[in-house]
Amino acid sequence: MKEISFKNDILPLGDKLYRLALRITCNKQEAEDVVQDTLIKLWEGREKLKEVDNLTVYAMTVCRNQALDHNAKHENKNISLEDSGVDGFDNQHMPDERLIYNQRYEIINELINRMPEKQRTVIQLRDIEGRNYQEISLMMNISLADVKVTLFRARQQLKEQLKKQKNGL
Amino acid sequence: MDYKYIEQLLERYWQCETTLEEEQILHSFFKQHDVPEHLQQYADLFSYESEAAQECLSDDFKQRMLDMVDEEPAVEAKTIKFVSRITPLFKAAAVVAIALTIGNVAERTMQDNSVGDNAGAPSIADTYTRTEDITATIHIIDRNQSESMAKADTVQVDDITRR
Repeated sequence: MKEISFKNDILPLGDKLYRLALRITCNKQEAEDVVQDTLIKLWEGREKLKEVDNLTVYAMTVCRNQALDHNAKHENKNISLEDSGVDGFDNQHMPDERLIYNQRYEIINELINRMPEKQRTVIQLRDIEGRNYQEISLMMNISLADVKVTLFRARQQLKEQLKKQKNGL
Repeated sequence: MDYKYIEQLLERYWQCETTLEEEQILHSFFKQHDVPEHLQQYADLFSYESEAAQECLSDDFKQRMLDMVDEEPAVEAKTIKFVSRITPLFKAAAVVAIALTIGNVAERTMQDNSVGDNAGAPSIADTYTRTEDITATIHIIDRNQSESMAKADTVQVDDITRR
């Protein structure tokens, strides 16, 4: 395979890695740290990348491991879900419709982030990133059956929560 | 409007029986504004998912990463330089090798020629085996030359007297 370029091969994966890291750490700053570590790690091991079949799958695997390590180190900080999710919105100067939309966005984000890491990662990879089961099983280093069971539980939980919300409103 | 197809897809979605393409259809469906009341509760989920897929790193972060890694290509360039630094040496060695080979071949050919003489093979030297022959020939050439020169002289003198 050709030489790996940071600008053309590795950096473009950054957004995907960031979304995954954000889902696992539930914090923008920490997600950025994880992505930075992941990109540097990929770059330093670029000789090895030449033999990798699917660079995206490999990068996502490295990123998830970095994010899990990060979570383990910062466990105390992560217990609180108050800081989670999208924190960059300036709600005071937002048109009503946009505000309501963002509140709904927040609610769903919270629903997913409250799930166990394995479930929210599966939802992230399948429903947000649109990856197939085979890739997800490689990225998460679990069996295909495990991917499907985990996804099933996660979707069922979301369905229940959405129903509850509808009845509550 | 009939939403049977979407309802069916949704049912299979919850059972994790939908393909990626079918899930894409669901996302597109819920992106539109006029979602029927009884499906509205799921619209948020699907539009959230579509939206979340757009989340990306700031340009600032990307620039920082590029700056951070900026040093690295120099190291890579050095490796290439090292190889290219050696190439002229290979070239020089190749030139020397070619010169030596040609020299060697030439020397051998010359040696072969002298060996041929000793073996009595016919050569230009054989034409003039006797010294008398050679001297005779030289005399003839000499005479011819002086004759033609003398002729030229007379012609010249004639030319001058005519004028």
